[in-house]
Formats: sequence, C-alpha cells, structure tokens
Amino acid sequence: VDRLDIPQGTLDLMILTILTREPMHGYGISQRLAALSHDSFQVNPGSLFPSLYRLEQDGKLKAEWRASENNRNAKYYKLTASGRKQLEHHRQRWDRIAFAITSVLEGA
Amino acid sequence: VILLNRLTSMLRWLFRRNRIERELDDELRTYVDMAAAARRRQGIPAAEAQRQAGLELGGLEQVKEQVRQSHSGAWFDRLRFDTRDALRGLRRTPGVACTAILLIGLVIGGNTTIFSMVYGILTKPARGVQSSRLVTIGSSVNGQPDPAHTYRDYLEYATNIKTVRSLLGHQFERFTLTLPTGSFAFRGALVTNNYFETLGVPLVRGRIFTDSESGLDDSGLVAIVSYRVWQDQFRGAEDVVGQHVMLNGHPTTVIGVASAGFQGAWLTETSQVWVPLLAYARLARQEESRLGGLNVIGQLAPGVSLSAAQNEFHAISLQLQSAYPDTNRNRTALVLPYSVTAGGNSIVAQRGSLFLAIFSVITMLTVVIVCANVANLMLARAAVRQRETAVRHSLGATRIGIVRALFIEGLLISLAAWVGACIFAWWTSRVVAAVIPPAAQGSALPLDFAPDWRVVSYAMALALLATIAFTLPPALRLWRQDVLPWLKAGEQGIIQGRSRLSSALVIVQLALAVLLLTGAGLAYRSTSLISRRSLEFETAHLTLTTVSTTGAAANEESNRALLESLRERLRSAPGVQAVTYARSTPSMPDRTWRMDPVRTNPSEMPRPSWVNVVGPDYLKALGLSPVAGRDLAADDTDAARASAIINQHLADALWPGQPAVGHTIQLRPGHAPVEVVGVTPNALFSGYGSETRPYFVFLSQHQEPAPPGDMSFYVRHAGAPDTIFPAIGRALKDVDARVPIVYMRALETELNTNTWPIRFISLLLALFASGSLAIAAIGQYAVIAFDMKRRTRDFGIRIALGASPRQLLSAALGEGLRWTAIGLLIGFGLSLGAGRAFRSVLFGITPTDASTYLGVFVGLTITSLLACYLPARSVSRIDPIKALRQE
Repeated sequence: VDRLDIPQGTLDLMILTILTREPMHGYGISQRLAALSHDSFQVNPGSLFPSLYRLEQDGKLKAEWRASENNRNAKYYKLTASGRKQLEHHRQRWDRIAFAITSVLEGA
Repeated sequence: VILLNRLTSMLRWLFRRNRIERELDDELRTYVDMAAAARRRQGIPAAEAQRQAGLELGGLEQVKEQVRQSHSGAWFDRLRFDTRDALRGLRRTPGVACTAILLIGLVIGGNTTIFSMVYGILTKPARGVQSSRLVTIGSSVNGQPDPAHTYRDYLEYATNIKTVRSLLGHQFERFTLTLPTGSFAFRGALVTNNYFETLGVPLVRGRIFTDSESGLDDSGLVAIVSYRVWQDQFRGAEDVVGQHVMLNGHPTTVIGVASAGFQGAWLTETSQVWVPLLAYARLARQEESRLGGLNVIGQLAPGVSLSAAQNEFHAISLQLQSAYPDTNRNRTALVLPYSVTAGGNSIVAQRGSLFLAIFSVITMLTVVIVCANVANLMLARAAVRQRETAVRHSLGATRIGIVRALFIEGLLISLAAWVGACIFAWWTSRVVAAVIPPAAQGSALPLDFAPDWRVVSYAMALALLATIAFTLPPALRLWRQDVLPWLKAGEQGIIQGRSRLSSALVIVQLALAVLLLTGAGLAYRSTSLISRRSLEFETAHLTLTTVSTTGAAANEESNRALLESLRERLRSAPGVQAVTYARSTPSMPDRTWRMDPVRTNPSEMPRPSWVNVVGPDYLKALGLSPVAGRDLAADDTDAARASAIINQHLADALWPGQPAVGHTIQLRPGHAPVEVVGVTPNALFSGYGSETRPYFVFLSQHQEPAPPGDMSFYVRHAGAPDTIFPAIGRALKDVDARVPIVYMRALETELNTNTWPIRFISLLLALFASGSLAIAAIGQYAVIAFDMKRRTRDFGIRIALGASPRQLLSAALGEGLRWTAIGLLIGFGLSLGAGRAFRSVLFGITPTDASTYLGVFVGLTITSLLACYLPARSVSRIDPIKALRQE
C-alpha cells in the first residue's frame, strides 16, 4: 500500500476522534488509525507516544492501566471533558479548512 | 487549568521520574507484544513476528527519548545535564574556579555591606515605630530645605489637611530629671498629644497625654519616660506611673512608659523623656504664637497617594504665605516618605551621606576591576579549551548550546560567590555597627545594619550582573570562532594575535586601581597631617565636662552665679590647675561654634569669625598666655563695656602693624560693640578645620550670660583622667546635686571622635586600593604569562634565529609596560576629576598633591614591572630545541 505522511497538526485531531468511541491503548489507536484511513496513514510510535503523553499532560486525556481483550495489562487512554472540548474546537476548524481548500480547488 | 496540569505533571516528572520511566517502558513493550501477536495471527512465525514488531516500533530507546523531549519537564533535564557538565568543566580547572569565586564573593560582599548600611540608614524606621504609611512634612524656603515648622503652621495644617491624618509635632529638648536618688541629664522631646498614637508606639505602663494635660491643667506637667529610664532610674518599679519627679526644675508626674527600644521618631534620636509641647511652653512662659522648630509627621489617609498629599500641603502653604508674609515668605511644604527622613539631621545622616557616596563609588569601582579580571581569566580558559569546543561543535553542539554551557558555568561561580558574599556582608555589617563611635553626647546609636531579604536580593542582582559581565567576553570569542582550523591544528597549533579585548580589560583594571590608589594616598596624607598637626595648645591633661543647669538655675542671673560657684569649687579639687567654662568645645567648628561677621566700622568688609562665650581663665585653662593685653577675668562683669579677646590672625587683619588692645569691634547686627582687651596666640581653638587662618573672638560669659542649659567646663589637671573624673563628679555634686553631668571626656578623646570619619575613610580606601592593586597586578601577570606560554614556539624560533635573551626580555617587558603606561595615564585623568569630590573631606592638602601622584606612579610601575618581569624572564630562558619539538 502506498502510505501518506500525516499532515502536520492533524495527528492530535485524529487521536482525539478515535478515542471518542471508547478508551484505547497505544497499539489499538495506531491500528484503528490505519484501518480508518484504509492503510493510508501508518503512525510511527515515535510520533504517536509523544503526542499521547503531551495530550495527557495537558489534561485532554486520562490514562489508566487495565487488562486488554486478550488479558494483557495495557495503558488505556480516555477522553476527558476538556479533551472533548478541544476536539470539538479542532473539528470545526478542520471542517472550515477542508471546505476552504475544496472550494479553492473546485473554483479554479 | 492547563497551567496547573502542566505544573503538576512537571512536578511528577521531577519527583516520580522512576515510575514514569517504568510505565513508559511497560507501555512500549506492550505495544511490541501486541504488534507481534497480531502478526502471529496472520501466520508469521513467532521469531519473525517479534522482529518485525520491533522494527515497527523503531528502537525502544529512541521512542523513549522522543517522548521525554516532548515533555514540558524536559527543561529540567537539560538544565541538569548542563549543570553537571559545567561542574565537570569547573572541576577540571579548580584554580580558575576558586579564584573567580573568591574574587567575586569578596567584591560582592563588600558592596553588599555598603548597601545594607545605606539601606539601614535610608529606609528603616526608628526602632519601635510600628505605623505604616507615615510621611514627614518638611518645608523649603527659596529651595533651601528647612525641616522645621512654627506651631501656628502646624495647627493650620492639622485642622485643614484631609489627605494626611493625625499630624504630630515634636521638638527636641534637654531634660534634667531629678529623683530622690540623683539628677540625670537626658535628651527628650516636646510632643503633641497624638505623638505615640500616630507613630504606633504602644505604652507598656500608664497612658498617653490627654487634651487637658497637653494644655497644662491643674494636674501640672506630666511626662512619659522610656523603657530604659524606667528600668535604670526607677529600677523597674511597678508603681512608676503616678510618681512625682522634677523635670528641669518643674514638678512633674510620670504618667506612662514607652515600649522597649523606642527612643524617638528619628533613627538616631536618643530621647528618654516626652512632655506635652504646649504645657511645657506655658510653663516656660513662651508665647504660643512664637513657638517654632517643630518636626511634623503624619499618616497618609487610606487610598491617598503621596503626590495628592503633596498637592494639598502645597496649596495650604501658599495660603499661609499670604496670611503670614513675615514668617512664611517663599516657604512651601514638602511631603516625604517618613522612612527616608528617619535619619533626621543627625550626625550620621549629615556625615553619612558623604561617607556612603564615597564608599559606593569605591565599591562599584572594585566590582568593575574584579569583573574585568575574572573576564580575563575566563577568556584565557576559553582559549585553552578552543579545541574542546571545536570538537563539540563538530559533533553537533549548537553555538547557543556552547554559550549556554559557558553561562551556566558563570552562574555556578556567581552562585557560590553570592552565598559567600551574604555571609561576609552579615558579618562585616555587625563589625561596622560596632566600630561606629558614639555620637557627640556619648550615647550609642541604635543602628541596625543586619542584612534582610532586600540586601540578599541586592547581592543576587549584583552576582547576576557580574556573571553577565564576565561571561560576555569569552562568549563573544566563542561565538565568532571557526571550527575547522582548530580541528586540524595540533595542541600548540594556532597562535592568535593577543586579544585586544583582554588588553583592554587589563588597562581598565590598572586605571581604576590608580584612581583608588590616588584617593587612598590623598586621604592618608590628610590623616597623617591631622595626627601630626598640633592645635597649638596643650591638649593632654585637659578634661571637658558638659553639665546641664536647667534643673538648678531659673534664669540667666542665677545661671551665671551657679556656674561661677561650680568653677570655684572645681578649682579647689585635688590635682586641678585651671578651670574655665564655655558654650562650645574644640570640635568640628561648624557644628557648635557660632560664626559672626566682625568689623571695626560698619563700612568695612566683615571678617567671618568663630565666636565662643567663655568664663574667666579661658587662656590659662588652655595653657596659653596672651600675646598682648590680658585673659578674661572674673571681674569682667560690666555689661555696658563688654570686653573680648581675639586671636593674632584677626588682630593682624583688622589693625595690621598696630596694637589691637583698646580698639572696639562690631559683631553681628544688633550686638553692642565690644572692646578688645587681649590677643591670643594663633591656636586652633575650635579643633581641626580646613581653614588655614581662622579668626576667633571670645566674649565674657559674665557680660553675655546664657540662659540655663548645657555648659562645658574645661578642667586642666595634673593626674590621669581616671583619677580626675571622679574628683570632678564629686566637686559638682558638692555644689548642687541638681546639676547632672551630660558628658565627661578627655579632650583628646573628643578630638579622636571628630577625626574618626576621615581616619575611617582612609583606612577603608587603603584597604580597597591595595586590594585592587593586587588584583590588577595579578591580572596583568596572568594575561602576560598566558600570552607568553602560547607563543613559546614563536620565541623559540626567534632564539634559534639569533635573538639574545636580553632582546627577548626587553621586548616582552615593553609590551607589558605599555599597558601600565596607558593605565596610569587614564587613571591620573580620572583621579584629577575625582579630586573635586574628595576636596571637602581632605584636610590640609590639595586634590593635586604632587607627592601622592608621584607615590602612586612609582608604586604602580614597580608592581607592574614585577608582574611583567616574571613571565618575561621565563621567555628569555626558553630552550629553542624543546620549543620547536613540541609540535
């Protein structure tokens, strides 16, 4: 599969979006991201984990250790209220950007 | 909320580091395991699956490092690494590090001591004063400050001012307190009845004055005494309140005791007794409208700014100008924060400002010298480490990173120096406070110079400034440095031309050392002149005893009779040879001596002369005999034909070539003409002064009797002071026990006290100057030695090519001495300029004193020669073969 680079600034948005449905561990997030993007995005752990730690540090995510589906102990990340707000904000922004870019491309 | 989150996570990062690291490790391993498990499910063999999963993670340690760096606590890590690095760097050159710490610590310590003294005098309230927002109301006439107000103005302000509350007035007074146990002389104050309330001084016994007491009601005069008087004179009696005493001859009731430590509103005041102002004025039959000399303090109303209060006072003072043109012409009110005026117009405040100005300049100069020196040390160190930094550079360190490392090294040095400086300042300020001599009346000043947090932060600010000053030069050098040449070259490879920066730094040090040396030289010459100069009369075996007659005499006539009987009794005391009394004693003339314009007729130019009013046998007591005419005698009592004796200088000026005796002179306007009955030799009656030909006039106490108050007996005696002191005390008590001794001291003690400031300044200057000279010389030595060592190969080649050791020696010396010459030139220029500032404290010499300059020239040249010669000599002994083989 031909992979794409993740555009700058969108990784946080995608992580937050993925975590709206349910709490997940790092590996799960990277798998879900790949699946949702039809394997176009494959996030590198060297980018994923720093992002997760930063979001946790800023209080957007809350982490807890618990047993995974196949009974391994894993660190699960959960969206906080503040994270939800941040997501909403980013999401609106992203929609405007996407709309704007599409408009420019189609109008040209 | 985000900030709080960050802060807690930063703290967690700092303190629960191990746990975070372990969790991160677990998390990443779980990731790999999950990735491997997923691959195994796709049918990949276990070993291969594990390998691929590891590849996907891309290196456990790298990911961890990326996570760490994204954390906001990572800043601490970088700081920690840098600090560890800097510590290692400093440990590699312990000599440089220790020297730098010592130099900077000492100089900041000295500076901080001065600051804590300035701060102690200028910003602290007097002891025991607890109110905040206090302001002092001063006034100025034609721009000249005049702190005192009339009672009438005080009342006008007190009733009309809205911005300042509870305005108080106080005025100094001397009191003789007579108890059954004896009479004691105290300083004290006449105060308005809100005095203690406004200052926030609680009473430990009794109560403050009531309105009716302050107006002198039937209860008579009342007084509040200090804690010390309560303890010492009343022996801490519980029934002190209500006791009846005599105060300046008036029956008085003690109604209260002030809290311990309080001695008046001014920092240097030593008041022990407080009495209602108006009541005392009425007892003394003074007219209310003529009461003056009041110091006024008040409390700013809440929410009012100083400038608002200033505006209101200014407006009212303008109204007063038009209402009372005769007393208030051009007089305007000034509102100042109380803290800056707490020093009052006392001795310390008067002399102190000059002292502190000089000290501040000296210490600032030494800071510059030391910073220049340490900067040179650091420059040399940076030069030695050029290869090291080049290697770091090539390994990917950024320039900012390298400069940051340098700065952190500097900070560590300053931090150590700062701690040392604070300890040093704490210690020295205690010593200095102990060394300050007692004020003129023998009472110790309650000064508190102990450094507090402000002083400590001042030292910190200095340390930071110093860090910047001495890391900047090497940082500049490093910033511009190329990488490649240093990597290619060998250890001795590149010989740079001598840095212009370091020569400039050496010259700055030398020039400032010259400035300090000249200052110290001038001060030393001045003090040695003082100690060698004689007052031209016999100062040994002369005791001064100041007494207060306010409690024993009611008016001028009884005062005169009292003084005369005291003198008669003292004359018959064992060992006493002659006795007189006078209003002023030999001290700094400008403080207690009165100056009158003297002329023979109204059309003549007046000659400003020092005037003293003295008793009989004045010249005899000083051990002098008149050049012409006679001494003042006990029978000079005719007030209509007042007689005076004048000194030879004045006689020569008024009647050159003629006998002066028999002529009359005019004193200040309104004073009756006086007849010259005697001429004295030219002694320095008023003590050491800066005039070369002072004029003196002595008037007879009998013809110009003083109201009861302070008077000083001059007693010439045969024995040692410790036998004569008790004899004088007994003699005075015999005549009248109500006459207390205010202050008894040998004349020589008094003179020493008066010359103390200049002796202290010159000692301090000498200390600072010799220190700076040593630092500058060592600095010069170090720079030259370093330079020579770097150029070893260069010199080796020269020797190999036939240069003689002599030639090399003189070449090397010449280079070094050129700096000395420039430094001397600049330093002398600065000294001439600074001489103006020194002029007022110098005694007997001019600021351009040639021998001082010659001495400094010789001293600096020799020191500098030595500093250049030692490294130059080693150059001339270089073995060319060794030098060249060193490649």
